[in-house]
Amino acid sequence: MTAFDLFLQQAINGLSLGAMYSLLALGFTLVYGIMELINFSHFNVFMVGCMIAMVTLKLFGLNGQDTILTGLPLIGVMLVGFFVTMTLCGGIGVFIERLLLRPLRAVKGPAPMITTIGVSYVLFNIILLTIGGDSKNFPNPLPPIAFNIGGAVLRLREILIWIIAVLLMGGLTYFVQYTKLGKAIRATAQDQEAARMMGIEVDRVIMSAFFIGSALAGASGMIFGLYYNLAKVDIGFGAGLRAFTAAVLGGIGNVPGAMLGGVLIGLIESSSGQFLGSAWSDVVIFSILVLVLVLKPAGLLGRLAPNKS
Amino acid sequence: MLTRRSAFKAAAGIAATATLGVSQSAHAADKVLKIGMDASFTGADSESATRVANGAIIAFEDANKAKTVKGYTFQLVKLDDGTATAGQYDPAQAATNARTMVADKGYVAALGPQMSGAGKAMSPILSAGNLAIITPSSTNPDITDPKFAAQYRPNGKAIYFRTVATDAFQGPYMVNYLVKARGIKKVYILDDSGAYGVGLADAYERQCKAKGVEVLGRDRLDPKAADYATILTKVKSLAPDAVLYGGVGQAGVKLAKQAYEIIPNVIKAGGDGVFAVDFLKGVGFPAVDGWYASNASPHKDDTNKETAEFSKRFTARFGVAPDDYSITCYTGALAIIQAVKTVVAAGKTVNRDTVRDAIEKVNLPHTLIGPITFNENGDLKNPVISVFQIKKDTTHPLDDVDAQYHYAGVAPQV
Repeated sequence: MTAFDLFLQQAINGLSLGAMYSLLALGFTLVYGIMELINFSHFNVFMVGCMIAMVTLKLFGLNGQDTILTGLPLIGVMLVGFFVTMTLCGGIGVFIERLLLRPLRAVKGPAPMITTIGVSYVLFNIILLTIGGDSKNFPNPLPPIAFNIGGAVLRLREILIWIIAVLLMGGLTYFVQYTKLGKAIRATAQDQEAARMMGIEVDRVIMSAFFIGSALAGASGMIFGLYYNLAKVDIGFGAGLRAFTAAVLGGIGNVPGAMLGGVLIGLIESSSGQFLGSAWSDVVIFSILVLVLVLKPAGLLGRLAPNKS
Repeated sequence: MLTRRSAFKAAAGIAATATLGVSQSAHAADKVLKIGMDASFTGADSESATRVANGAIIAFEDANKAKTVKGYTFQLVKLDDGTATAGQYDPAQAATNARTMVADKGYVAALGPQMSGAGKAMSPILSAGNLAIITPSSTNPDITDPKFAAQYRPNGKAIYFRTVATDAFQGPYMVNYLVKARGIKKVYILDDSGAYGVGLADAYERQCKAKGVEVLGRDRLDPKAADYATILTKVKSLAPDAVLYGGVGQAGVKLAKQAYEIIPNVIKAGGDGVFAVDFLKGVGFPAVDGWYASNASPHKDDTNKETAEFSKRFTARFGVAPDDYSITCYTGALAIIQAVKTVVAAGKTVNRDTVRDAIEKVNLPHTLIGPITFNENGDLKNPVISVFQIKKDTTHPLDDVDAQYHYAGVAPQV
């Protein structure tokens, strides 16, 4: 491998990580943008998504990496997998919002945030007690197709992950920019009170944001499983923390910022692993975060909200 | 590191019904010598505890029947260091058992324990009472390490003997094996940041330098991180012959999965941390195929005529096949019998002091697990590390450790 091949390979690795972090970061950013709430349950909604995807794929008779699908069956299984995972995770998000957070809407202080931490642990323990704590072999029906670009290897699954991530992010951007509900979300994020006065059903908007964010976390969980062939109860914290960092780096509350932040974090992680050793990755990631926040407190693409009450 | 393996064995579960009743057909005039048999008969490891103890039963039954030591009969007494509360071995119970044996002068030696954690609790007490114990399976190096003598043998003399090697040999011997069997010249070393993993990786690194194997790099995996693709890409760019991994399954499973994608043709090896059902199941085939693992005990080799003979007798007597530690326990019992025999032959009184001194000098040149002599710390002079390689065997369940880890032989000592 030449230095260029190595660089290219680490860029491919970094972009795949970044795609995953971006999808996860969007959930943080959507909810924060609207409610100014850091939703820690998002970490484990992602993990539950990975588990749901695993169970769904197993229901198709897929086991480990033994069964390889191609053509229409592969597309069908993937579509059903993503649909089921995203719908159920979205449902969990709505459940969390409607039952646990809405009663606390009027409460000032950290109570809602602490609640999300609690929910996170509840989800963690439910999976621990039902599915177990050991590493699970995630079923992967993707054919092991790989393309050699010089000495670097680009696998089908990486291309697929990028395509799915770009589609979902593109869809979300379109949704937020051009649909009625999307506009309502943006209006609510800008000023809840004014939005309510304009006749926007704020509760419905918040619930939609939770649904979309959690569905994206579910998609991200399934991508995680397909990428690593692995599902484990403790994956939420590591990936969640980096995704949250990505959201802050990009400017929390800002949708393109979360995408940019995710990709950056992925690239930083892979290059620091290459040049400094993987034990230093976190140090580098968080140092850069601190640096960015010192120089640009609102994050890379964020704007400070001066007159929010 | 016995825990995982034996937990698996217990889970694999074949009912064993034998008790520790060494038949006492001996003469009434014979003096009875008590031998303690400490193992975790309660809890997760009860199956393997029974199999271990059954090895000793055969040895003492043979000796009593053949009157190997004239005028003496051996009585094997079971002491359970497992408790229902702990669900496995309980160090506190192990300490109590040690005190029980020390208090009763009828005990002249003991066998056990299975677990290093129990051994750490028992060793200082047994040292104070100068009662020798031979462990068939506990492999933590600290207990016999002279560095920790003040802690584990305050009395100074070795009292904790082993018929297994210690974990300290796994690293170097695996390197020896890979150099000899696979001709490796360049390696990359990874560890999982844990005490066991770092220690093992350090041992790999030292031995590689000693053998002239080039160490291309060393990196530490965060066991909680999910992505090792970055580090494996770096490893790939350096093109090593082998990746040596020190650690257990938490990072090992993720490493093995991603290594299969990124460096499929590089030799991969670990210690007994990857000799476990959670590793096999979590990684799954094909990614797990080809991994080497080591174990700090000789492996039951049924191609050997005498071992096959022993297995047959054992199975006929107890209804289940022996495992590796049945044989190491059997061998430990033979060492005790040999020691008592030399004491009697020298015309000395048989008590725990004379028996301990004799065990230290035991020389069994020919046993099922090779020559048995102990060094001044109680460790085997010729420790045996077994090497296994995972090869897919579709005639057995794919998560069956015994079927999928194929015995590759004894790792060379140099």
